[in-house]
Amino acid sequence: MGWLDANLISVLNGFALAALLFLIAVGLSLVFGTMDVLNLAHGSLSLIGAYLGVALVDEDASLGVFVLAALLAAAVGAALGAALAAMTSAINDHLRQALLTLGVALIAADVLRELFGSDPERVSAPAALAGSVDVLGRPYPVYRLSVVAVAVVIGLVLYVVLERTQAGAIVRATVADRGMVEAIGIRSQVVLLGVFGVGAALATLGGLLAGPVLGARPGLDSTVLLLALVVVVVGGLGSVRGALLGALLVGQVQTLGVSLLPGQASYLLFGAMALVLLLRPRGLLPSPYAHAGGHA
Amino acid sequence: MRTRRLAPAALLSTAALALAGCGGGSLSEDSGGGGDDSVTVGLVLPASGVYEPLGVDMTRGWELYLEQNDGQLGGRDVEVVTADEGEGPDVGVPATTRVITQDQADVVVGIVNSATALGVKEGLASSEVPLIVANAGADDLADGGEWVWRTSFTNGGIAASLGEQVAEDVGDEPVYLMASDYAAGEESIAGFREAFEAAGGTVAGESLTPFGTTSDYQPFLTRAQNSDAGAIYAFYAGAEAVSFVQQYREFGAAEDLPLYGPGFLTEGGVLEAQGDAAEGVQTAMHYSNLLDTPENTEFVDAYVEAYDAQPTTYAVQAYDAAAALDAALEVSDGTSGADIAAALGEVGEFSDSPRGPWSFDEEHNPEQTYFLREVEMVDGAPGNVVQGELN
Repeated sequence: MGWLDANLISVLNGFALAALLFLIAVGLSLVFGTMDVLNLAHGSLSLIGAYLGVALVDEDASLGVFVLAALLAAAVGAALGAALAAMTSAINDHLRQALLTLGVALIAADVLRELFGSDPERVSAPAALAGSVDVLGRPYPVYRLSVVAVAVVIGLVLYVVLERTQAGAIVRATVADRGMVEAIGIRSQVVLLGVFGVGAALATLGGLLAGPVLGARPGLDSTVLLLALVVVVVGGLGSVRGALLGALLVGQVQTLGVSLLPGQASYLLFGAMALVLLLRPRGLLPSPYAHAGGHA
Repeated sequence: MRTRRLAPAALLSTAALALAGCGGGSLSEDSGGGGDDSVTVGLVLPASGVYEPLGVDMTRGWELYLEQNDGQLGGRDVEVVTADEGEGPDVGVPATTRVITQDQADVVVGIVNSATALGVKEGLASSEVPLIVANAGADDLADGGEWVWRTSFTNGGIAASLGEQVAEDVGDEPVYLMASDYAAGEESIAGFREAFEAAGGTVAGESLTPFGTTSDYQPFLTRAQNSDAGAIYAFYAGAEAVSFVQQYREFGAAEDLPLYGPGFLTEGGVLEAQGDAAEGVQTAMHYSNLLDTPENTEFVDAYVEAYDAQPTTYAVQAYDAAAALDAALEVSDGTSGADIAAALGEVGEFSDSPRGPWSFDEEHNPEQTYFLREVEMVDGAPGNVVQGELN
């Protein structure tokens, strides 16, 4: 009975972690998979979101303040994403993109350290969600449950927009054949700007929502980027479903896996990634539209 | 076309692996050699990476002592050359080598990371330059050899000081042990287990959590809650300590399992970030800024005035490293490394340290009092209130 209880809590907690990872990683996946831009500053976007939480959300903040901070974080992220899109749009090869965005990430890390210091900071959960509820006879933080709900909603919206709307169709078409999309009168630069903006907004929003769980500190940007990269590699590039599956897998590996195999905890994450790469080199659910020949 | 499709995944995996091994940078300052009557001190502290907050506190402690003594130690002018210790030996060892070869330091002070300290130990001995360790806690770092002296603590020593107290508190209930999975965590658990079991305590189980890669302790906390333990002993520091204590509260472990650990669990900026989640956590440490002695009050006042921040144990360790060097240079015949090392053996007791009286023992570790501290809200902010002396 104790065994079952313990592992059910771990599974639940894995979903909470997966929800945060999904929010952060889906932007990285979309930008890379659809726009072919490798954005190594993605973790910095997320850390900026977390620090916005430190600056804007006081202890015992109301839910309204928290939601406003989240919206502001998303807006800031969208603006930063547009700026990154403008910087990277002229560059086509991955190495130079990586160098450029890594440089941006290093500068961002130093600026954040200058502004917020190097001590770890905490982001408070809104007062209404700060407590714990009993789940299966054990206290579980309400905030983590709410994060799962938020991620489910955002994931559904993303999926519907990409698969069921005209804007989504244009994005998918741009991925498949940019030249043809431009030939029918759509500027692919605008599409790139839009996808990058949304992806970055999700990263900063995810970073802020992750604040009460992961905190905010120097170095968290690379930790988050690393996890997001693993999620994207495992899930497959450019698809919302892939990012979701990757996040779910990584979330469970990090909680249930660690709970069952505590001795191997350090190796589980990369072990799982290596296994997936061996069996499915393109990830579990790569985008069905992934371009075959790069840019026209 | 197939290779083209594979490239992104391969690139991302490579990026992921490369990031996993990211290191810190280094920073250099002006160099200079020591004259005959002045002494050149190599101050090697982290100015980058995860230990940077400790580096800041320790630099402040060191500088405060020098300021209070007009920039002189033992009546001699001091020239300080600094180097960035970074996060690990990959940066710290070359940085230390540089201050003794290029900058001709007569003595090296600092070193936060134990692996770095162990990595420079032999090189310093063969160059005949003494090292005054102001943080690194590896048990066998100072072993009575003439070149290594320590003003901080040993991992095992702090842990052992808690053993008897916890055994008394829990009665016949067992205790669950948790630590970060690296050398310091293992030494801490070993030190506690030995003293605790000697005092009649029993251990319910033990979890070593991945160091630096996990910030979710729920699986381990749940193991502790599912065991028959009546309390938890935990070794964590820095950002890990913040996450751990917060989750200890959120997942309800705080309701029925009192938490004990070495003081790093609730020290300085870590405690600020934990906020009221840390209330009731009991730790062992050789210092608290709330220690009520005339020496400490004077020190805290001077520190707050200089830096507008409360001093931490790390600051005191560096402050006392300066005091130790001061005392040694007072009795030293000259300023060579060998002279200083010999003089460190003759300094006796430091009676006016903020932490209380201490002296070097025969292994050159500090012989000092460990205090039991409990986190209580003091004027609306959490503080480590001293409950009494251990050992």
